[in-house]
Amino acid sequence: MRQCLTAVVDRNVTWDGDFATEPWEAAWAREAIFFVRLLAADGEPAPDQPVLAGRVQLSPDGMHWCDEGTELRLAAGQGLGLARVSHFGGWLRLRGTIAPGVRLRVIAYLTLKD
Amino acid sequence: MATPGGASRGPFAPLSTVLCSDDFDAGLQGWTGLIGNYEDSLDNMLPQYADLRPPMLSNATVWDTGTGGSAAGTYAMKLATRPRRGSLAVGIKRLTYRQAGLIQLEALFAFKPEASHLRLSETDVGSVGLLFDLQDERQRVMPHLRYLNALDGEAVGRWQFKRRAPGFADIGTSGQTRSHYHLAPEDWEDLPGGGQLLCYNEIATKLNWHYLRLGFDLGSMSYAYLQCNDRHFDVRPLEPMRMPAMANLWCMLNVAFWVEAGTDKRAFLYLDSIVLSADLHPCASA
Repeated sequence: MRQCLTAVVDRNVTWDGDFATEPWEAAWAREAIFFVRLLAADGEPAPDQPVLAGRVQLSPDGMHWCDEGTELRLAAGQGLGLARVSHFGGWLRLRGTIAPGVRLRVIAYLTLKD
Repeated sequence: MATPGGASRGPFAPLSTVLCSDDFDAGLQGWTGLIGNYEDSLDNMLPQYADLRPPMLSNATVWDTGTGGSAAGTYAMKLATRPRRGSLAVGIKRLTYRQAGLIQLEALFAFKPEASHLRLSETDVGSVGLLFDLQDERQRVMPHLRYLNALDGEAVGRWQFKRRAPGFADIGTSGQTRSHYHLAPEDWEDLPGGGQLLCYNEIATKLNWHYLRLGFDLGSMSYAYLQCNDRHFDVRPLEPMRMPAMANLWCMLNVAFWVEAGTDKRAFLYLDSIVLSADLHPCASA
């Protein structure tokens, strides 16, 4: 049976401006999905702009990071978004920016499977 | 990952019945994060519980020498705080017991700060600790022990215990939910003769595993013994936290470990393996 683990990497936290989830070790896994679910939102983004623009990052050591290329975007009114990645080595995190004037309260998950 | 099957006995000397033996080469094996009680909304949780960081699986990779692996295989359970003084990471496993006898918790553990500065950093991890959360027909009992590594940037190196139980707060409006925060930095007392120097090693990326063994008697609800590496501590006179039995916790046997950041730097606690065993009478072990 395959191993699968869902980590709650942020829970009921407020994101505004720039954000990054804590470094997460995932060397045992082959595939991963970041989920971000909105619990509450204040403010409106500019027209046609996402409230959240995130990108998956990889690291060899948990301290130095580079973009993997996969993005996670939440449009205004969207309650749940995801970013799916594979072949990522040892560490994962989600980094991004909340639209100016917007504050989000979120719960963020990292679902890993070998 | 390895085929599930648990740890070999390796360096451990379990009691007659092994209740669980977790080497983390087959997942977290029931270890999970700790959350405070809430009702209707996460917002009414006691704030100290809001961001206890959960466990992950680590192969102990560091920037300068690569993968170190664990003490028994490749992976260990890793508890990692945020880079903020006082941040805690907690791993808990929730069981129940079938006989009120002696139980024993053994583990190999190692702690380090994140190697984000090329300095010794030996006082950056504040403390590491372990607890049982137990209940019989009369009382809830919470033995808590910690190794206070450093306080306010000064090395300490002393085992401590906590006997003063915090008061409960009502959560929500139903009258069914209460909560108390038992991991606060207050009310820790020194173990008599509890000073011990551990093997931190010489730079922040060198990880040495330590042996830990705690015995607790569920019959008398009292400490039996504590060993860390070559040191044996007389914990029998120590009092654990005690409080009246609660409505939904009969025969509870929870085990938890935690690590606390002493500075604004991530603190890591690695555990591999964890073995919980019990002395069961034959009629109960059948």
